Amino acid sequence: MVEADARILLDWDALEVGETFETYEYVLTQEMIDTYRQGVMDPEASFPTISHKVDVKQYNARYRDAGSVNARCAFHCYNPPVPGKKIRVRAWIADKYLRRGKNYIVTEAVSVDEDGRLIDRVITHELKQPTEVGKKWGG
Amino acid sequence: MGRLNRHYAIGDEVTPLVKDMTQEAINLFEGSSGESGPSQFTDEETARETLGTEGTVASGRMSLSFSIEMLRRYFGSDVFNHAGTVDLRFLRPVRPGDTITFTGKVIGLDREANGSRVSVEIKAENQRGDTTAVGQGSAVVPNAYLPQDE
Repeated sequence: MVEADARILLDWDALEVGETFETYEYVLTQEMIDTYRQGVMDPEASFPTISHKVDVKQYNARYRDAGSVNARCAFHCYNPPVPGKKIRVRAWIADKYLRRGKNYIVTEAVSVDEDGRLIDRVITHELKQPTEVGKKWGG
Repeated sequence: MGRLNRHYAIGDEVTPLVKDMTQEAINLFEGSSGESGPSQFTDEETARETLGTEGTVASGRMSLSFSIEMLRRYFGSDVFNHAGTVDLRFLRPVRPGDTITFTGKVIGLDREANGSRVSVEIKAENQRGDTTAVGQGSAVVPNAYLPQDE
């Protein structure tokens, strides 16, 4: 039996800038780091946190929408994460805007490990009408 | 330990970084967070339904990772991993089979309290010469690493 989706349907107009999400925690394993490094073809890649998309994870846990396309992403490096450490992520809605008739949401997240080391900060602009981009890109 | 004497000047070119995109690489990137469900990145049908494209695309975060790699190699991990930033806008999709070349050029040198911020313009192009992403990156290089007269 399929469970009903209890998430809130996104109402872009009602979404409030500054809305914060519950802290998200996860343990970054060596296997995650190794897999990320294989994926990006860089044996020294230091911020596997990028692939965890933590800035939108809690948004996606609270809201459902038509999907999204990443339009812009900024990443600030502070300290490479250490395998085996728990990472705590605080995320919030940093901004929203309308451009050329399309709705965007900006999420921001800061990751800190269990010892209090600041890991990174990520800011992402997501277009909330992904099919519009698909039309532009063409098959 | 002697001074490292890294020197930066406006107009300096960063060594380009070339990446051959494969579906396997995309799958590894997406799977590295523990996510295993189909997405527009890993599943053609989901890509068709969500984006209206015929095939999968790579997450913009992969291009972000590659830009970070290019600048980490340029500034050194001792600097970039602690004071580096990249801000990238994604203009066109990157698909499996594409070869993406990342280039960079120094466009700014600014004194800050803890060193000098070196800013780099970033561009990514596919094998057809189409620009897939543009943006900027930077790192604050500690004064100890710079020639004394800078």
